[in-house]
Amino acid sequence: MITGKNITKTFRQRGGVLAGREVRALRGVDFAIEKGGAASFIGESGCGKTTLGRIIAGLETHDSGEITIDGTPMSPLKPRRREPYFRRIQLIHQDPYSALNPTRTIHQTLNAPLALRARQTRRPQSWVDERAEELLALVGLDPGYVLPRYPHQLSGGMRQRVVIARALTVDPDMLVADEAVSMIDVSLRLGILGLLKDLRERLGVSVLFITHDVATARYIGDDGELYVIYRGQVVERGHVETIISDPVHPYTQSLLSAIPVLHGLERPGEQPVVPTEALDESHHDAGCLFARRCPFRTERCVAELPVLGHAEGTPQEHACFHPERRSVVATPIGRG
Amino acid sequence: MSVTPEKKAPGVRVSGLSVVYRTSAGELPAISGIDLDLVPGTITGVVGESGSGKSTLALSLLNAVQPPGRISAGSVEIDGLGDVVKLRGEELRKARGRHIGYVFQAAQNSLNPLKTVGKQLLDLGRSHDVADLRGLVREAKDLLGRMGMDGARVLDSHQHELSGGMRQRVGIMLALVLNAHLVVLDEPTTALDMITQATILRIVREVHEERGLTTLVITHDLGVVAEVADRLAVMYGGQVVEQGPTMEVLGAPRHPYTQGLLRAIPRLVGDIDEATALPGRPPTLGTIPERGCVFRDRCVLRMDVCETEKPPVVSLGASIALCHAVEAAADRDGRADIPRAGGLQEVVGAQGATGVHEVRGEQP
Repeated sequence: MITGKNITKTFRQRGGVLAGREVRALRGVDFAIEKGGAASFIGESGCGKTTLGRIIAGLETHDSGEITIDGTPMSPLKPRRREPYFRRIQLIHQDPYSALNPTRTIHQTLNAPLALRARQTRRPQSWVDERAEELLALVGLDPGYVLPRYPHQLSGGMRQRVVIARALTVDPDMLVADEAVSMIDVSLRLGILGLLKDLRERLGVSVLFITHDVATARYIGDDGELYVIYRGQVVERGHVETIISDPVHPYTQSLLSAIPVLHGLERPGEQPVVPTEALDESHHDAGCLFARRCPFRTERCVAELPVLGHAEGTPQEHACFHPERRSVVATPIGRG
Repeated sequence: MSVTPEKKAPGVRVSGLSVVYRTSAGELPAISGIDLDLVPGTITGVVGESGSGKSTLALSLLNAVQPPGRISAGSVEIDGLGDVVKLRGEELRKARGRHIGYVFQAAQNSLNPLKTVGKQLLDLGRSHDVADLRGLVREAKDLLGRMGMDGARVLDSHQHELSGGMRQRVGIMLALVLNAHLVVLDEPTTALDMITQATILRIVREVHEERGLTTLVITHDLGVVAEVADRLAVMYGGQVVEQGPTMEVLGAPRHPYTQGLLRAIPRLVGDIDEATALPGRPPTLGTIPERGCVFRDRCVLRMDVCETEKPPVVSLGASIALCHAVEAAADRDGRADIPRAGGLQEVVGAQGATGVHEVRGEQP
């Protein structure tokens, strides 16, 4: 179980003409991911979802707030003492082409972390080879075919499976998958998503899935939680199927409205929401961060910042003064 | 100068087009024997995975396949221009830009980082001997304004000052400013956010209709073509395996690859358990089979004949599929060659591209 409370992060530009410019990447985010659970962060690029993922994986520091792993708060610990905690959280990168060392065979790539692990746990060397084969089989690859090969000899989908196998060498509790399927061929995406779901079920690994493509979030498990992040703030949070079928925040609604409709198979939603203008992060608004682009804004939205919370009549949490259900998602056309 | 609105949307006929790449293993085909018609005034979407040959096809329309690749057979007839494959040197250079606009991938390095957009626009004008450069700038500002941007500001900007969506619009402007009426967009929304993507697709459609263009959109994302294209061509292993009106190809896919691809797309609605990934992997340049069907290794309907014989062209209604199994099924049902009433083909002919978007909602 990993939780975060009120995480903030501000990036400051140093030197050059942009010196002193600040980007508020995270403005007080709370999250909780159960052991074996699934959570998805969705939002546009620059919304802070990747920064949050990197903070959770221990690769980035935060300015304030507290991360707690299995009940132990991280901030009082010295960096060396934090390491064993963060080792249990492994990151899977977007680009499987650059995440693997091109001069090493898959055997070498998997061998190094496993050999270290064998020394630490006083296991025999023979365990290393067995474990490598076991892990490759677990991610759906044929060890005999893959082990002697170099990354360039494998397809994108196979490479991403190798990356996942490598992450599993240290027996992690959680995988942080940052846009893990966006560079994979369309016909193979579901295979990777299914693998992540499978690992949750078989190994009890929790999965944090970071994506701009809401649809993929459904496929790592329909019990997952969805966090919709906008300019560093979680604006809607709840069960993945609830948010997709019944979004109440206009930003979530515009994200869902923007997803292409497969005409011929689907009928577009009846009340699509289109932002009134493009994203411009240079504004420092006192009110709702989305107000400037929101077609439904009122005076209150411009003056006051809504906070994430429950409201009557909605199962999810949201940060909107005027939550309203709108039919934005396409519906499948029944085959007659 | 470029203001000749009478110029009409050209038709394009690609026939028997093959492109080979020279490798250490000999000349390997990237695309082989492609037949594809772009109906004047329509948006055609070409969809395919990596290695399907879709970008090679797009480059062939400009006769811009770079060595070690070369067009080894076939022709690309463009109305008002002739066979592009036969064009050489100066003629070819003039055709690119004047007749055929090409929009490169958004966030990639298609703009010069050292020059403002305006300077690049003037370069473009000079290289095409535009006499009235002021008029060209005016036209560019109009186009940018039309796409919801402040033209003067954008022309004064370097590429790093523009967002991905803005750069993509600049790319569309540069492709259209010389009044080309055939426009090729290569992965127009890859690396863009969902909301920006929706905006760009809307702009593509609007500009297409307003200026009376023939448009070709190349993408790996079936959603993108579904949203924007009137007609759809599905590529696999260097061949167009299925083509037809978008509604028909998506609503009633014939080819096992199209069917599998549609099942494999993560979707926002519908049963999660019904979705399945296609087994196997797409072929690469070296692994495209020489004989028989290119898709057979991943196909659930594979028959013996698929190993040896090139799949026949089967036309069903307004769409065409290259498949032995589809042919066998059609023979069994006796449905082949029976034209379907109210197909989209007729609608396109009667009303132009706009008609298609209007009738979409009512299709079963």
